[in-house]
Amino acid sequence: MNEQAQLLPGTLDLLILKAVSLGPLHGYGVLLRIEQITRGALLAEQGALYPALHRLEHQGLLDTEWGTSDNNRRAKFYRLTAAGRRRLRDETESWNRLSTAIRSALSAKPQEG
Amino acid sequence: MFARLRSLWGTFRHRSEFERDLDSEMQSHIENRADDLARSGGLPRSEALRRARIEFGCAEAHQDRVRESRGVNWFEDLAQDLRFGARMLRKSPGFTAAAILTLALGIGPNTAIFTVIDAVLLRPLPYANPQQLVTWHGNESELDIDDIQAQSRSFFSAGGGVNPEVLTYTGGAEPLGIHAGYVDAGLFRALDVPPMLGRELSPDDDRFGGPRVVVLSYPFWREYLDGDPNIVGKTIPLDDNRYTVIGVMPASFVVPQYSLDVFVSLRVVYPEAARYRGVHFMKSYWRLKPGVTLAQAAAGMATIDARMAKDYPGEEKGRHSVPVPLQQSVTGDVRPALLLLFAAVCVVLLIACANFAGLLMARSVSRQREMTIRAALGGGRRRLVRQALTESTLLAVLGGAVALPLASLCLRLLIAAKPAALAHLNKISMDPSVVVFGLVVSLLTGVVFGLAPAWNVSRADVTDTLKQEARTLTGGPAGHNFRKALVVVEIALALVLLAGTGLLIKSFARLRWVDPGFDPARVIAINVQLPVTRYAEIPKQIQFRRALLDRLNSLPRTQAAMVGDVPLNGSEVTHSLGFDGRPPVAEGDEPEVDSFCVMGDYFRLMRIPLRTGRTFTPEDREDHPLVAVINEALARKFYAGQNPIGQRIHWARETGPPRWMTIIGIVGDVKQYSLAEPAYPAVFTPFAQTNEAWRRWMSVVVRMPDSSGSMIPAIKGEIWTLDSQIPLNRIQSMEELLGLSLAERQFNMALLGLFAGLAVILVAVGIYGVISYSVSQRTHEIGIRIAVGARRIDVLKLVIGQGLRMAIVGTAAGILGAVALTRLMTKLLFGVTPNDPATFSAVVLLMLAVVLLACLLPARRAMRVDPVIALRHE
Repeated sequence: MNEQAQLLPGTLDLLILKAVSLGPLHGYGVLLRIEQITRGALLAEQGALYPALHRLEHQGLLDTEWGTSDNNRRAKFYRLTAAGRRRLRDETESWNRLSTAIRSALSAKPQEG
Repeated sequence: MFARLRSLWGTFRHRSEFERDLDSEMQSHIENRADDLARSGGLPRSEALRRARIEFGCAEAHQDRVRESRGVNWFEDLAQDLRFGARMLRKSPGFTAAAILTLALGIGPNTAIFTVIDAVLLRPLPYANPQQLVTWHGNESELDIDDIQAQSRSFFSAGGGVNPEVLTYTGGAEPLGIHAGYVDAGLFRALDVPPMLGRELSPDDDRFGGPRVVVLSYPFWREYLDGDPNIVGKTIPLDDNRYTVIGVMPASFVVPQYSLDVFVSLRVVYPEAARYRGVHFMKSYWRLKPGVTLAQAAAGMATIDARMAKDYPGEEKGRHSVPVPLQQSVTGDVRPALLLLFAAVCVVLLIACANFAGLLMARSVSRQREMTIRAALGGGRRRLVRQALTESTLLAVLGGAVALPLASLCLRLLIAAKPAALAHLNKISMDPSVVVFGLVVSLLTGVVFGLAPAWNVSRADVTDTLKQEARTLTGGPAGHNFRKALVVVEIALALVLLAGTGLLIKSFARLRWVDPGFDPARVIAINVQLPVTRYAEIPKQIQFRRALLDRLNSLPRTQAAMVGDVPLNGSEVTHSLGFDGRPPVAEGDEPEVDSFCVMGDYFRLMRIPLRTGRTFTPEDREDHPLVAVINEALARKFYAGQNPIGQRIHWARETGPPRWMTIIGIVGDVKQYSLAEPAYPAVFTPFAQTNEAWRRWMSVVVRMPDSSGSMIPAIKGEIWTLDSQIPLNRIQSMEELLGLSLAERQFNMALLGLFAGLAVILVAVGIYGVISYSVSQRTHEIGIRIAVGARRIDVLKLVIGQGLRMAIVGTAAGILGAVALTRLMTKLLFGVTPNDPATFSAVVLLMLAVVLLACLLPARRAMRVDPVIALRHE
């Protein structure tokens, strides 16, 4: 547990959009996919997942339909809408800019300042 | 945006479906997870499911957050809170009824008084740009008005005067005395209200020898002319002349301070009066030019006053025309009383709010355990506060809903009581702004006074509270102290109200004891006005008067006499007085005294005592030596240390050589203006000896055999035998007049008394609430005390002592408040100082008695505490 980093506020939405962009997923599947694509480094809290999913759906970024899970259970699947895809692209870009900036800031050496 | 709305709408439309979906979505999550756990960890299915559930956490809470994220919650919560609140309120009907009644009693009267204040003080007068209209204290003659009009062009755009007179209208079944405004054309231009039909008086109508034309008021047109839409151009009979109707004013039109039926030009209907500068009988109204300030107008008027005083010292010396806004002048008389009443209802409202807060407080304390448990089960703090607020707001709205009908009831009572000062406002009704006022007050009360207890709830510390015993869950001493403080404030406020009421009651009692100077029993006053057309000359007037008294005195057991203006009827004639054998006084500086003409045995009939000398006899008639009777006030003021009998006086303003009148007697003082005012110096002279032909009106006073009024038709018949065209619709009994002069004070006193009573009841309820709550909280303690030997009387002392401590602090604060505040009502008092010690002690005693009474019930309960039961209760 200790090796798993806490999610930064606001990043859960981005991770969900990314996870769903790779193919339609049900809620539990989103959780597994995030674990998988972050190689287990990030773990989304289960309680936070559903409010986030519904929020994104409410914003028109996700679409839903009922289907069958791998375990042959009925499940609600989330799919990225066109708006969601645009949002993912924008958010990814701004995240990249931010992380580059943070990284360069953190790697700055005192003498060069 | 659109997507969200659609989504929200979808959520609402398919509400149950949404909830089902949410449930099964989370269920499927847990099942899927359990499948994985079972597969990877080799756990039995049931154990895997259990772990999955624990991992997932509280599904309810997640669902709640989902709903919140979709914006469902707000409405959903509100509906739920309302349902829950209503259920809780139904479950404790006592509390609910007390809270709703408390608020309704606070808000209802408040709204009613606010309605009156709104109508009287706040609503703009029904004229265009009413803020431009001004008037001043003191009346003008028509010549004065002409001069002011001519000289004030730089600051007044228009101005004119009106004198209310009685005209005989003979177009109906019986001759009718109607209220006519003798006006000039400038009045209409100043008030600037367009006529509903036809036109107003123009300067062309308003000239000596002008056409006999009349403008009708809306009520007169409706009632006596059946609202004839083609009335313009037709004629109506007024005082034996036919007047052509040229216009009808709209219903909203009133001449300030008067209620008038028709308007005619003074110069046409009464040219004699219009030609004399000294006939100051017109109230004048003026319109400021745009951009002109009151101060500029005042400066301008000061110049005009000075010029007129110099040009006409005899008539205009005492001029002091200070323009005041019309609104202020119109409302000036009622303003102090209304503001006092408004302050009183505000106090009642404050007390009601404090009680309401106290009730909520007690309730929140007793519900703290419930709230704490809800918080422990995951109820969000904000959500709990909201729940508490919803409940108090719900209560406030219900209180408001009960208050509004109550307000309209109070309003109807207020108007039915019809104090004279409100008489000209025939239609005061609750308008939307007042309803809004009531609702806003009730809502604010709910929110503000619901907030403190709600805050209390939200601070509840889950673990602490749950650990504590129910007995100690008193919301802490802080909560109870707050309630006590509220009650102390209530007592103080109520005491101020009681003190004010006490002072008014004492004033009223003092006033009732004032001797009016005459005996009103079984005396009626018939106001008669002789039309100028048939009674222009004095001999004709005297002939009519004599014949009238002869006829009335021949009726069985009936005495009749007449006087110019009967006491307390609101009109009088004043004259400047000159004395024989005293150094001449500068013109315009002569003393003003009341002047009454009488005929018949007026003084004996009215039982006005003769102090010295004699009163008039039938021999004091025309062609005989002129005589006068003076009152004691005049003797005191002008004949101190001398015997006035045999001295001579005359009217200083008369033309020609002085007509000396010899003083033959002194009579007792009579309250002519009001019971509260001292009597003014007065001179009585015989009608038969006057040379003033304009004294065509009189009050015929008749002392009847009984007070049934059964004689009135016979009296009317006798008068109409003499002249069938005399209107006799203005008959009042002297007792009525006396009552009317007290009516306004009685009205103020009754209302303030009502509010003070309300306040006392509310305070009693508040004290009762606090004490009985504290008794119920201390049952255990009292049980122990009794068990260790306390006697019942000690318990009684314990409980009552608690109430008394509050009462003493409250009354002390209240007295300080009353001392500071009753000064403001000096104008409304008579014969008592604003800090009358007797009144103050009485109300303090009353307050203490109320507190004791309110403590008695809980004290009895405390005395009956059975120690065995109280202790086992733990």
